[in-house]
Amino acid sequence: MQVLIYILKRILQAIPLLVIVSLISFFIIRLSPVDPLAELKLNPSVSKETLQKETERLGLDKPIIVQYGKWAKSFLQGNLGITSNGEQVSTKLKERIPNTLLLAVIVIFLTWLVGMPLGVLAALKWKSPLDRILTVLTSIGMAIPSFFFAVLLLIFAVKTGWFPVGGLTSSNFAEMSLSAKVWDLAHHLFLPVLVLFTISLAGLQRQMRANLLDVLDSDYVKFAKAKGLSNFKVIYKHALRNAINPMITLLGFEFAGLLSGAALTEYVFQYPGLGRLILEAVLRSDINLVMASLMMGAIMLIAGNLIADILLILTDPRIRVKRGAA
Amino acid sequence: MKKWVYVILVLVFFALFLRSCVHKDNPVAESPEIRPKSDVESIVFPPSQKTFTINGINYLQSQAPVGKFGGELRASTIGEGPKTFNPFNSKDNISSLMSDVMYDGLLTTDAEIGAPIPKLAKSITINGNDYIVDIRRGIKWSDGKEITADDVVFTWQNIIFGGYGNTSTRDSLVIDGKLPSVKKIDKYTVKFTTVKPFAPFIRMLSTPIAPKHIFEPAVKKGKDYFYTFLSTNTDPKTFVTSGAFKLKEYVPAQRVVFERNPNYYIINKNNKKLPYLDRLVYFIVGDLNNEVLKFEGGEIDVIGLQGANVARFKERESHSDYKIYNLGPNTGTMFLTMNLNDRKNKDGKFYVDPIKQRWFRDINFRLACDYAMDRKNMVLNIANGLGAPLFTAESLNSIFLNENLQPYERNLEKSKELLKNAGYFWDKKGHLRDKYNNHVEFDLYTNAGNTEREAIGVMVKQDLEDLGMKVNFKPVEFNTLVNKLVNTLDWDMVIMGLTGSPLEPNGGKNVWMSDGTLHMFNQRSEDDKLSKRLDWEKEIDEMYTKGALATSFDERKKYYDEYQRIAYEQKPFIYIYSPIIIMAIRTKFKNIFPSALTGMTYNLEEIYINKEAK
Repeated sequence: MQVLIYILKRILQAIPLLVIVSLISFFIIRLSPVDPLAELKLNPSVSKETLQKETERLGLDKPIIVQYGKWAKSFLQGNLGITSNGEQVSTKLKERIPNTLLLAVIVIFLTWLVGMPLGVLAALKWKSPLDRILTVLTSIGMAIPSFFFAVLLLIFAVKTGWFPVGGLTSSNFAEMSLSAKVWDLAHHLFLPVLVLFTISLAGLQRQMRANLLDVLDSDYVKFAKAKGLSNFKVIYKHALRNAINPMITLLGFEFAGLLSGAALTEYVFQYPGLGRLILEAVLRSDINLVMASLMMGAIMLIAGNLIADILLILTDPRIRVKRGAA
Repeated sequence: MKKWVYVILVLVFFALFLRSCVHKDNPVAESPEIRPKSDVESIVFPPSQKTFTINGINYLQSQAPVGKFGGELRASTIGEGPKTFNPFNSKDNISSLMSDVMYDGLLTTDAEIGAPIPKLAKSITINGNDYIVDIRRGIKWSDGKEITADDVVFTWQNIIFGGYGNTSTRDSLVIDGKLPSVKKIDKYTVKFTTVKPFAPFIRMLSTPIAPKHIFEPAVKKGKDYFYTFLSTNTDPKTFVTSGAFKLKEYVPAQRVVFERNPNYYIINKNNKKLPYLDRLVYFIVGDLNNEVLKFEGGEIDVIGLQGANVARFKERESHSDYKIYNLGPNTGTMFLTMNLNDRKNKDGKFYVDPIKQRWFRDINFRLACDYAMDRKNMVLNIANGLGAPLFTAESLNSIFLNENLQPYERNLEKSKELLKNAGYFWDKKGHLRDKYNNHVEFDLYTNAGNTEREAIGVMVKQDLEDLGMKVNFKPVEFNTLVNKLVNTLDWDMVIMGLTGSPLEPNGGKNVWMSDGTLHMFNQRSEDDKLSKRLDWEKEIDEMYTKGALATSFDERKKYYDEYQRIAYEQKPFIYIYSPIIIMAIRTKFKNIFPSALTGMTYNLEEIYINKEAK
């Protein structure tokens, strides 16, 4: 019951936050000097009448506050509006969301699958050569810019011919058998996944290592060891459970990142994801599309944090007790 | 001691690394020479396609060598991909390209000489203001329905003149507030009548024709619905087309796939229905670099090359599977222009400082700037030699180009003399001053981010500073610049580029007519459209009006020659150069006849693959 009230409270708190986020983003986009019609204005074959009609169609002839009101109203009704090319924003997003989710889920799954054990391993073998090697590798992973790494891999793909140069599917994808389709997707996904994996792995592994080291150094672990518990029990039953709490918060953020897309990596690999769509929309000042994606990002972030907090309540008795007392 | 060994080792390694970098940066082979003459001049075009009747069906017969059926051509487009597949809604090049593949017009352009030639039309008779179009008998849409006069009348009357979709075709046809009329004479004949003789109209007849049975329901639902009709979300199966290919698949941000239209009306010399290719794929790539990588990786077959890439690809051409063609200068014009505006804005302030107005409105000043331009140097250093110095208002591949207007070299002496005669002088420090002792100093804008224009700006600044002027070069954000050019009008000099048409100068009327929306050098805001015109502006207005009304090519050419002469003498735009188009295509593709007017792959139906030939 208490948890439910807590969730409800958090959702109510989110509303003013979303309003502020939407206001700020809307005004910043509209006040930026990007003119959605600039290209048309410099095209000698575009007539004045056409320009006038375009201005009216995009609502640019009205004051910003009226534009915001119109947008907010349709957003509340669940209508995301149309892009500057007249397509439905919702269909446009729907086209890209599966692709971005595919990439994000694979990357998160792989990084957690590899990063957590590596972090634990490094902490247990603290200051051993293995730990040192891992530290160097993760330093490289953190230091290398994703953009640069992606370009390097792309050149690698061109020179060797082992991987396709960007994209997600081959041109005859529609005619392939199921196994060929899976193989084709994997073939195309390998390089972008590798880039994102390398970069997020580094952070995760370090976080896990630091958490576990902290816990291993604490008094109750020393006490448990002194009590004569087996090393296995001390580490996996007591230390790890405590070390994992900050990771849950991290997972909440990762959830928020699911749909934000990795714009740079997507751009270099010509990956048909949300990141590239939004980047192009921003450059064009396509307000409905940009607003939809920003709002989506904000909602995902709030939801991610909420989920992490709920998970924390479930895993960490201390939080439950504190909340109960308060 | 041990430490030192490590330090030395690291240093040696680092030095070797640097050495290898340096080595890589110096190309071993000498940079290859770019062919100065464009290849299109030596291309032998096959005779024009001609009508050939079998069983009462008026096919169009290709006269190109007979090829083999099958295979696919993979091309690419840069950017976000098509925004619509509706030919009447397209506002960008990529959408237009896609609809050109799918929908044919009544006429098309001859690749060799640029004359309008029949396509869906069997023939066209021009009789004063009347254009009588005879449509091919028995040719079909991709769904098997016949293409008739009803489709043509519907397209023009209901869609275009009805104001559906992108209205720029309609807007450009309004003469004295009236639109041309369209009338069905019989099942295969349509008569268009313009209000006055209007020469550009014939080019408009290459506008795609829509299948009435598909478009009519959409038109009935109103303009807002029409705007979303045949959008990129439409099921490809529902497309009914008249072109060589029909849509098979559109994968957002990845590719557009077309398959051959089995009902196409062009046949080869063996009377087999074209096109030869089974599929046509356009990859949607985000930027130039990715496109080049895709071509290198063998994922696309044809590419437009720019800058340093040309030399790199040229070097490898002889032992590779592609051939590079130089298609000559394109329609792009790069120019420097000055603000000749002498009017005041709403607050009663001059758009341009009156001191500067005196300079810019002085023909001697403009000519002096023109003679100071080192165009050759700019072509060599900025366009990697892939450009042609430009002096005329019409682009170099235009069929209306005035060939009497001669190019000339940079001539600083002449510049200085012109300035001296106009009362300018140089002070002790070598600064240029006008006769009221004002130091000649102004701002030069261009759009930031366009590296080519920025580079031109730097060189223009140097060239003008050789005359003792002080030039403040300011690249600004594109939208800011456009706003300056069309709204606030507070700029001194600008470097810009525009593209035109090699076939129809009338498209430039927004730039050249004194009330045009892009009449940059003397832009009139809405309120002072009627303000005083300069004498030569009046002349150009007259030439443009007459040029559009005259019908014969020779007569029109006279007027457009004259406008180019005035522009050449008055220098409202100081033209700099036109880029040259370089394209590469894999050698396995045959029947490739690149044209300066229509590009590389305009004859999609005739292109075939010959695997054995290398």
